[in-house]
Amino acid sequence: MSAVIRLLLRRLGISVIVLIGVSMLIFAIARVIPGDPARIALGPNAKAEQIASLRAQMHLDESLPVQYGHFLADLSRGDLGISLYTNRPVTKDIAQFLPATLELVFCAGIIMIMLGLPLGILAARYRGRWPDHLIRVLSLVTVSAPGFVWAVILMLLFAFYLPLFPIAGRLNDSFDIARVTGFLTIDTLLAGDFAAFTDALHHLVLPAIALSLSGIGQAARLTRANMVETYNKPYIEMAQAYGFFPSRIARIYAFKPSLIPSLTIIGLDFAAMLGNAFLVEAVFAWPGLSRYGVAVILRKDLNAIMGTVLIIAITFLIVNIIVDLLIAFLNPRIRHSARGSA
Amino acid sequence: MTSLLDIQNLKLNFKTVQGQVEVLHGIDININAGEKVALVGESGSGKSVTARIILGLLQELRQARISGEVYFDGRDINTMKPKDCAKLRGTAMSMIFQDPTSSLNPVITIGQQFTEVLRRRNNKLAQAICDEQATRMLNDVAIPDAQRVLNAYPFQLSGGMNQRVMIAMALANRPKLLLADEPGTALDVSVQAQTLTLMRELVNDYQTAVLLISHNLGVVREFADRVYVIYQGRIVEDGPTSALFANPKHAYTQALMNAVPRIVGTGLAKVPEVSDAFLAPRITHSDVT
Repeated sequence: MSAVIRLLLRRLGISVIVLIGVSMLIFAIARVIPGDPARIALGPNAKAEQIASLRAQMHLDESLPVQYGHFLADLSRGDLGISLYTNRPVTKDIAQFLPATLELVFCAGIIMIMLGLPLGILAARYRGRWPDHLIRVLSLVTVSAPGFVWAVILMLLFAFYLPLFPIAGRLNDSFDIARVTGFLTIDTLLAGDFAAFTDALHHLVLPAIALSLSGIGQAARLTRANMVETYNKPYIEMAQAYGFFPSRIARIYAFKPSLIPSLTIIGLDFAAMLGNAFLVEAVFAWPGLSRYGVAVILRKDLNAIMGTVLIIAITFLIVNIIVDLLIAFLNPRIRHSARGSA
Repeated sequence: MTSLLDIQNLKLNFKTVQGQVEVLHGIDININAGEKVALVGESGSGKSVTARIILGLLQELRQARISGEVYFDGRDINTMKPKDCAKLRGTAMSMIFQDPTSSLNPVITIGQQFTEVLRRRNNKLAQAICDEQATRMLNDVAIPDAQRVLNAYPFQLSGGMNQRVMIAMALANRPKLLLADEPGTALDVSVQAQTLTLMRELVNDYQTAVLLISHNLGVVREFADRVYVIYQGRIVEDGPTSALFANPKHAYTQALMNAVPRIVGTGLAKVPEVSDAFLAPRITHSDVT
């Protein structure tokens, strides 16, 4: 297991470097965009000395490297500053809005894996026959439109014409759920309110499907392609020559070796959902990080922009580390690289 | 002796974009129980497809048109349902492949693959019994530290080691027929010779019939009781190994034997132009030369 721990440490080290790079980049970009955040925050009637004092308070009149130094010093204390938009600490804002987005992305990711991989396996198992053709056409259709287009289509079909699902929001206003984790599906269960839990799930269905559809297609296509390649390997012929069941060959003997190359891309897709979620959230009025993110960018709320971007970058890195660990776990060549071979 | 495998007038066509291509033009092969038979020929002569037809694998390919009879243990594999045919694979017959390392699944341990093979015979076999049987089989192929090998992945073992594992797996369920398609061609010559000797001893012990597919006359001469020479989808000569090697009559067999490298080798002799007259006379040796 020591090989896996070394891998984990190396990935964590690289992640820190990546985070520093991202923070510098966003720090510079946010300050290069024209517009004075202090002036925007204080409104058109603010006096010059008020603006000057806010600028001084925000260290805006100092040089960029000095400003970045202040930022790092605050960050080391877990302080991301005050948002000019909400007038609250940025950390508090993120803690409020992030769980809704994570809940959505998490559900979409699970749907993507639970549907995409089996569909890919099925297509590869029946390659060249009708299930394969059907799955390939369907995945091409889902891949060819981005999440927010699916969001609009699904909303029209299943919330408007056929009112099967709620049209927007996370939870019916009639429920009053104590906030513990911010994940409504968990909080409702913690509160023991099963009706609220069902309602939260009900609200989650359409946005999560809209967000996951192109990922499902992508995962299915990728899994199929890698598995069809694997099917030409001698060890599959060997499994066939020994009369193993075709479904077992598909699920284990062909799928396992094919999963490793697929997993990296699926992991990236998963992380990319965070960005796509912004638009899907906008369509479904989902009270997640997107509304906050868009608002703070338009107001040049520097601290809030930094906080939002950093939290997205961290999520990206965490997903990547998880994928790397999964690959190490699945690939015996990596897992056993520390041991000598026979 | 009753024959275990009886192939009669086997023809194979492949449907391609250009039309039908006939690969096998009606071959007859006969193997008795416990007999070691070799099928010799060059690449593309139809050796490997023959093995896959015996296994019933090629029948599942839609582009393949197969006619003729392939009697295994009295039942015709060509007319059998795919399901019934699959029941024979891994139990009554098994196969050894060219490259042992790439024929074992890279992400599954040897032990798990061995268990899967053993459960072909009895799918309720307990893990402990599987391990015990696998260990015994591995000991039989001269692998003393069986436990380490069972826990290993193919990439952690040498090619020769994997080849022994393949042999152990192939014989674990005591099949009646073992198909060996160029076994160990991917290995170096001395390791190949070692594993072949091992395989010969085991099949003699277990009374397993073998169809050895090879282009290596040295291997064939060492291993087989009887030889079929296949050329361009036809059997051109057959007979007991000693008789055939002592007096090869067909021009192709002679060319094949002259092609074996010697110190004073002259390279591949010219085979006369292919004609019906060249392919038609099948030469069968009797036991006396």
